[in-house]
Amino acid sequence: MWTFDAMMREPAAWLDASGARSDAILSTRVRVARSLEGERFPNRAGASDLERVRARVVEAALRSNYLRNALVIDMPEADRASRSVLVERHLVSPDFASDPTGRAVVIGEREIVSAMVNEEDHIRLQCIRSGLQPVDAWRLVGKIESELDRNLHYAFHSDWGYLTACPTNVGTGMRVSVLAHLIGLSRSGRVSEVLGSVSKLGLSVRGSYGEGSDAQGAFFQVSNQTTLGQSEEDIAYTVERVAGRLAGLECEARERLVEKDRRISDEIHRSWGILRSARLLSASEVMELGSSLRLGVALGMITSVGLAAVNRLLVMTQPGHVAYAGGGSSAEERDAARADIVRRELAPAA
Amino acid sequence: MTCDECGKAEARVAYTEFANGKAATWHLCEECAGKRGVSASLSSLSGPLVNILMGLIEEVGRSGAPEPGPICGGCGLSLAEFRRTGKLGCSACYESFRDELAPLLRRIHGSCEHGGRVPSSLEPTEGPRREVRRLRSELERAVRREEYERAAELRDLVREKEIALGLGKDDVDV
Repeated sequence: MWTFDAMMREPAAWLDASGARSDAILSTRVRVARSLEGERFPNRAGASDLERVRARVVEAALRSNYLRNALVIDMPEADRASRSVLVERHLVSPDFASDPTGRAVVIGEREIVSAMVNEEDHIRLQCIRSGLQPVDAWRLVGKIESELDRNLHYAFHSDWGYLTACPTNVGTGMRVSVLAHLIGLSRSGRVSEVLGSVSKLGLSVRGSYGEGSDAQGAFFQVSNQTTLGQSEEDIAYTVERVAGRLAGLECEARERLVEKDRRISDEIHRSWGILRSARLLSASEVMELGSSLRLGVALGMITSVGLAAVNRLLVMTQPGHVAYAGGGSSAEERDAARADIVRRELAPAA
Repeated sequence: MTCDECGKAEARVAYTEFANGKAATWHLCEECAGKRGVSASLSSLSGPLVNILMGLIEEVGRSGAPEPGPICGGCGLSLAEFRRTGKLGCSACYESFRDELAPLLRRIHGSCEHGGRVPSSLEPTEGPRREVRRLRSELERAVRREEYERAAELRDLVREKEIALGLGKDDVDV
């Protein structure tokens, strides 16, 4: 039985580092937005409208082949820690978690496919895969979207495609996002230049990390900017091609960096040492040290732990996960609980 | 470095946003970043693309008339409200505000024509419609290049398909 507890015990499939270019690309997410014809969009819907849509979408999801055993969480019933866990696992948006009224999330096994109901649009269906897999992820989303199509009447316009609450999503309603670990490019001072070129190719780039500071581990999100005009396949192929090239540049930058800078190797081994030994760790510290460790594992410098374990670490140590695991009421207790999780995740296999 | 927004807490997030061809960077504390929908955590790299749109809408809003403008018959949303929030209220809004939306969509997406899949129930009509649209743009290209023989072929093809779809042949002539 697929339950929330089972979800917490078993890490999401996209963390397993089995996908193409997992050394530089953590994950690929494809989501499509759909609205139901004849229903007001959530931002103008009343409580009974939201409830009707929630019931229709959940029923259609549970009737589909892929989501028939899915876990359905009604957001008003989820506690604070569980909501944060859902955000940290990329299953719901921060906004979705902070205003739970009339909202539900449907989560398929291993979190490969999920759907937010009554987010900005009635349906936000997504698939997250490990590494670089936009085309595969789209195919799976497309299949499930067709299944839901049999039982739901999507709002569609002959010229403008699938209609969404925000005109930025209209057309395919599709957003392909790749989460890239660009530590080599960041450290070589090339990340702005490279991401600048990527943005000229019609993709948008977002990162919370300033050049040179690397405070948060050099993770960047690359996604398609527009949704109207191209086919879903074209969008997926474009992101796959560009992100693949980006991963190539990142790996070249890493090799060069290690060859000429002994401090990088030192930093990797120090990070490994601290993570395995520390008794107090803040979330941002884990992100920073975990990013260095991830580089070390990808380069084959650290071999006693795999990329999957490091990926897991980056998610399992975020505040909601620590709180869910019962991590104390004070900041210090939470940091202690986080350090425990890290040591457990990085312990040599028995 | 202190936060550019509140000027108090330490800046933890450098957030760059590309809008209207310009890049702007803010150094924000986690709280102010959160308010902008930006977070330093891995889980919420879902920054507000909508801000780009808001810029566009404000621009449209400034050039437009000050009165609330048309109201959507489906949900009661006024054009003024859409300009303020950037959100439409129902699928009927797209027809209610068609004149405003067509140029806006073109500016956002660089296109005004859906090129992706269609709901299965509409496939029998949407498939041929899309084929006609494709042939029409090919026809326009042929005329521009003065390839009149090819243009004539395309014109006949478009006419044939439009008649099959039950569309008036008046639209077909070039």
